Amino acid sequence: MEIKTLLEQRGLLIFDGAMGTQLQAKGLKTGETPELLNLTAKELLKEIHRSYIDAGADIISANTFGANSYKLSHSGKSVDEVITAGIINCKEAIKESGKDVFCALDIGPIGQLLEPTGSLKFEEAYDIFKEEIVAGYKAGADVVLFETMTDLYELKAAILAAKENCDLPIICSMTFEENGRTFTGCPAEAEILLCEGLGVSAVGVNCSLGPKELMPIIKTLCEKSKIPVIVMPNAGLPDPATGEYSIDAEEFSDYAVEIADLGAGIIGGCCGTTPEFIRRTAKKVKGRKYEPKKIERVCTICSGTNVVEVSQPRIIGERINPTGKKLFKQALINDDIDYILGQAIEQVGAGADILDVNVGLPDIDEKAMMIKAVKSIQGVTNVPLQIDSTIPEVLEAALRVYNGKPMVNSVNGEEESLKNVLPLVKKYGAAVVGLTLDKDGIPPKAEQRVAIAEKIIKRCEEIGIPKEDIAIDCLTLTASAEQLAVNETLKAVRAVKERFGVRTVLGVSNISFGLPNRELLNHIFLTMALENGLDLPIINPNVASMTGAVRAFKLLKAIDVNSVEYIAAYGSDTPTTVAKPKSSEVTLEYAIDNGLKAEAAKITEQLLIDTDPMAIINERLIPALDKTGTLFEQGKIFLPQLILSAGVAQSCFDVIKAHLAKNNSETVSKGKIVLATVKGDVHDIGKNIVKVLLENYGYTVIDLGKDVEYQAVVDAARKHEVKLVGLSALMTTTLKSMEETIKLIHDNGLPCKVVVGGAVLTPEYAEKIGADFYAKDAKETVDIAKKVIG
Amino acid sequence: MILQPIDRNEALRYLGCKDGTDNEQMLAMLDFCEKQLLKAASPKYLYAVYPISFTDDGVRISDSNIILKGNSAAAHLKNCDRIVLMCATLGQGVDVLLRHLQVSDMASAVIVDSLAGAAIEQVCNRAETEIFEKVHSNSRTWRYSPGYGDLPLDIQFDLLTLLQAQKRIGLTVMNSNMMVPTKSVTAFIGLSEGEVDQSTRGCESCNMKDRCKFRKSGGHCGN
Repeated sequence: MEIKTLLEQRGLLIFDGAMGTQLQAKGLKTGETPELLNLTAKELLKEIHRSYIDAGADIISANTFGANSYKLSHSGKSVDEVITAGIINCKEAIKESGKDVFCALDIGPIGQLLEPTGSLKFEEAYDIFKEEIVAGYKAGADVVLFETMTDLYELKAAILAAKENCDLPIICSMTFEENGRTFTGCPAEAEILLCEGLGVSAVGVNCSLGPKELMPIIKTLCEKSKIPVIVMPNAGLPDPATGEYSIDAEEFSDYAVEIADLGAGIIGGCCGTTPEFIRRTAKKVKGRKYEPKKIERVCTICSGTNVVEVSQPRIIGERINPTGKKLFKQALINDDIDYILGQAIEQVGAGADILDVNVGLPDIDEKAMMIKAVKSIQGVTNVPLQIDSTIPEVLEAALRVYNGKPMVNSVNGEEESLKNVLPLVKKYGAAVVGLTLDKDGIPPKAEQRVAIAEKIIKRCEEIGIPKEDIAIDCLTLTASAEQLAVNETLKAVRAVKERFGVRTVLGVSNISFGLPNRELLNHIFLTMALENGLDLPIINPNVASMTGAVRAFKLLKAIDVNSVEYIAAYGSDTPTTVAKPKSSEVTLEYAIDNGLKAEAAKITEQLLIDTDPMAIINERLIPALDKTGTLFEQGKIFLPQLILSAGVAQSCFDVIKAHLAKNNSETVSKGKIVLATVKGDVHDIGKNIVKVLLENYGYTVIDLGKDVEYQAVVDAARKHEVKLVGLSALMTTTLKSMEETIKLIHDNGLPCKVVVGGAVLTPEYAEKIGADFYAKDAKETVDIAKKVIG
Repeated sequence: MILQPIDRNEALRYLGCKDGTDNEQMLAMLDFCEKQLLKAASPKYLYAVYPISFTDDGVRISDSNIILKGNSAAAHLKNCDRIVLMCATLGQGVDVLLRHLQVSDMASAVIVDSLAGAAIEQVCNRAETEIFEKVHSNSRTWRYSPGYGDLPLDIQFDLLTLLQAQKRIGLTVMNSNMMVPTKSVTAFIGLSEGEVDQSTRGCESCNMKDRCKFRKSGGHCGN
């Protein structure tokens, strides 16, 4: 069975209504697991299924919504037996009715939030869904229905699990709030992009609101989705005190007519609806001729919460790339993900719409680092990413764990590249950058590059990647080496855009390589390229004149209507919150006391001209930090101020580190310390405060993050040969994890000391679980580090 | 719902400034952080009323198989015949903001964390106000949460399932009993047609009483 065919044959399809509401009406206790009734109350379930079949449903859902290993973990029943029974009940009801009705394997959210907010890993979510799908497929389901989803990331894990473990059509439905977003902030457009890209058969909305309140979301879905839309509203809104729903079956069916008019292909009901709701709905709209809409769309990509349409120039930030950057390389080698996150946040703050992510370095495991980088960056920013790697295996790993619809950088005209990259782009529903080069290199003439672009576009279309998802890079050559080539690039950009109607992308900064005043050349070339049709400039957005050129271009081309964006960016001078003294009066110590980052960095730069870096650290920075530390201990300043001072010292350290890297000297480090928030614990602000302070006393922190496996702590302590491990836990329930981690460190005979901290710890308890030190706050951890490491 | 201005003094108390502050830098940071928090937060709450009965193990929530085990809950609910079960959250946006700030601006992260602590209390207070406009009783207890006294934290899973908290306000609990979004609260309030004993409120029933920094400095957290 295929949804598209079914819609052609039968017209508008009817789904069933609520299962939970029916079960409660028949005496199910609140809080009980309704799926267990599949095994104990077969006749009751069949009766409910029958009532929906009789009401006119074309597809009915088995009672399997919450039958996953997490929700069933307390029940003593396996996923396989509960789902198999659920499907069998459903199929028997269909058989007994003698009607041509289909059975949906109904799958809801797992019940735990995924990383980064929760602790459930994407890969674990995939396995949980896989178990459900394998059971349902084997038992004979006709279609897989994912419904009531609120997290796009969880939905992606679910869809991949279905695609890779069965050949049934997939229907996806998410739950939106009145603000048009799900609880995790996902808009309907992002749901559409993900589902279309992954080859889902129908996409839509269910639950949370009644049909009236859902209308704006239904409109969006019907206007923007290329695949059929499914709508299953609640019976209005529930009364918070009584739980009664607000509209009756007749009113519901009137709304169903409106929904059908908007162009939905499948209509059913959710909470509070009954067979009567479905009967009246079926009577009014079932079998109406369904006409697939022609949807025109320009290139659009998204993260889990943010959709970026390339209908105007969009800035791709280029800074997450180790090429030519010593500090970045060092960060990759040290697994210092915070360095990368800092680069991400800075670029987004400066105006990047999309971030390019490249973590390729010969000495590291690029695949593992790429997965970590993509997940972590998506945890702190919402801009879509451009996955940048030359290795297909790395691309695939990133495409899998990416939340949303990304862009792939890149494929080129070489057969090998087309063969390896395009199937991945197709499978994961991404957009793709096509480089106009092939086995003979970059052709000198614009026409030759246009020809390669044509070849790439043709190959994309053959494999099913729509034109709208292609951006062509006509390649910027260095003006100092190939002056005449500049114009060829610009000509090619214009031709590709005009002839094929695809988007264009260029790495801009390469133009000025080897020449003085690079910023000037970059800026002018960017402006020229924009005028020739460049949509996606890859630039350093932190350079104000580059981001400014894009903003000014949009204003002058009347893209930025009424200059709204331009004024937002430049219209109001940011007021400085604290009156600053004249810069000549600012000393390093004053800057640290008063949180003046930029000033402190400037002073450090000046000091470095004639002062030894270690002397700056030991004679200026550390005494200044000690002073604020003492004030903190005396209660004269508070934690945010202490951290602010530490942040200033950090900016001084950054200057010193960059200075040393430039002079090829050893980096300054007093020694390495492993920090982790223990397994089961996701509240890691305390650990992060400790990290900031330790770094500012010159220690290198290997930060393992939150919810860290016991073994990962042991592995890191061994790998980095640390003398000190710091563990943090917030809750009484996670103290057990802390104890286990310490035990494993001891069992492995590692020669390191362990310091512990966290809200619920006491010195006595720390001693009991085998820690060497208890630290009551971040300052005390620094004192302990001094004692242990020096 | 829309948050009222966040109680800054409460947030400052969490940061260890029990008498407020007039430090300009701190005040400027509080302004900045409050704006960000209000933008990121999407406060929601949910409640339902259940009859209860007393058993040997503790207090049973009638119409369900959930028992609030131990002596503390039973003592708290003495003389009560119903409870209002409630949960509240500031939403995932606050977690995203906190992650973001912990990379870019740790000092602000600490302040937002404290402001969020104050904010979730205000959401709970707002929920209580609404609850008692709609649900009438002669007397009622104060809000009591899993983890207080000997009431185990793992009851949180059952309570949130009962309230359909994930589906209705996006609130879930991890295997370690930690709630996500992290700025969230689960609590219940006892309702009685007679009188309830309010005197137990305070430090004695709190599982943090031996290590509480407010108590050490002679103060009180306000609960």
